Amino acid sequence: MNRNKQTEIFGIIITVVLLILLIFLSNVEAGKLSFLETAVSKVFNPIQKTFNDLNNKIHKNEEYFRNYDQIREENEALKEENSALLEQLRELESLKADNATLQEYMNLTQKYSQYSTIPANIISRDVSNFGSNLVLNVGTNDGVQENMTVIADKGLVGHVLSCTDKTCKVQVIIDSASTVSCNLSTTNETIICKGTLDNNQDLRATYIPLEVDLIKGDSVVTSGVGGIYHKGIFIGTIKEIVTTNNVTDRYAIVEPAVDFSKLNAVLVIKDN
Amino acid sequence: MKKLLIILLFVVMLIVNYILQVNFFSNFTIAGIVPNLFIIFILFVSLYSNSFIGQMFAVITGLMLDFLYGNVVGVTPAMLCVIAYLAGYFDKNFSKESKITILLMVLGSTIIFEFGRYFLLSAIEGYKANYLVCIKIILIEALYNVLLTIIIYPFMQKIGYAIDRVFKKENILTRYF
Repeated sequence: MNRNKQTEIFGIIITVVLLILLIFLSNVEAGKLSFLETAVSKVFNPIQKTFNDLNNKIHKNEEYFRNYDQIREENEALKEENSALLEQLRELESLKADNATLQEYMNLTQKYSQYSTIPANIISRDVSNFGSNLVLNVGTNDGVQENMTVIADKGLVGHVLSCTDKTCKVQVIIDSASTVSCNLSTTNETIICKGTLDNNQDLRATYIPLEVDLIKGDSVVTSGVGGIYHKGIFIGTIKEIVTTNNVTDRYAIVEPAVDFSKLNAVLVIKDN
Repeated sequence: MKKLLIILLFVVMLIVNYILQVNFFSNFTIAGIVPNLFIIFILFVSLYSNSFIGQMFAVITGLMLDFLYGNVVGVTPAMLCVIAYLAGYFDKNFSKESKITILLMVLGSTIIFEFGRYFLLSAIEGYKANYLVCIKIILIEALYNVLLTIIIYPFMQKIGYAIDRVFKKENILTRYF
């Protein structure tokens, strides 16, 4: 009897404590108990995750065996669909490339609308380490002639060296043998830009007049002197000014606006 | 007849060489420098057939390259002819059995060809030559050519000896370096 009473009282106390705890916990703000939540989740979540994974695996395996034929058919269908989609993707990629080229031509033609031009593509590049000449897919049949100026979206590329019926060879401005007469946009003074071997992407500006103060970032455009290049075509900007002991020997490095390694579409200016 | 077939083989090799040089090796560079397969080709032709055929192919290859890409025509065939002539000299004086000899020939030929070509072009076109940069480029190119030769040497030797037997059957001498 006594024992039963004791058990009963103990049960009541536990229930009261639980109730108080429940009331307390249900009324306290969640943020204040986050440390408890973290601690509990740290203990129980990995265990729960293991059991959950195990359960999923067993369930999936069971399903796999049950639906093997269905899955195989589905897989075949998906493979077919995938190859059809890949085919479509290839077609789209090709169309995208065509579109980009045409867009480039259109931009170029609009930008240089004052000139009558022939759009062209680069079909080959010089194979040696000392030259940078390009071969274009237009020739005398398209109206291209020797010494015509070649430009790209961002600026001057070079001039036509020689042509056949369907192709022409272009000497680019970064070639070691190339020399272009240029003007500085701020002072309008004439300088000479030559191709270099050092870094096959830069030009060296020489014959800088003594009284000229060169400014880093100054634009360099063609002067029109020499009769090959048209006047005012953008070449690039001054990247570095190198001063030497003898002021007449000073030179500047000009960074061409055109990235010759990525060049693809160009325009040949018809009217010389 | 056999000689004619070998010359046809050389023509095919020249075309393959050109395709590889233009389309393949332009994308696989060492510090932006491409190898020059034409030098290896001319050296191979001259060493295993004879110097005259080598010089003939040197003129054809050189003219093809100059017409396609060059600013002036004539320098590349001239320098390739020098390589073919030198290969004839190498053939008379050194053994082709040794891999090291072949590698040294490729190294020397690349340096002579590129340096000579750059010197002549700068003189003809009248631009200021930058020999320091030129040497850097030539050394990397020579190294690249040597590495390629190491890879293709077994094929080169196998085909080469077959050609050698046709062209020099009356004059088989064992030479040692």
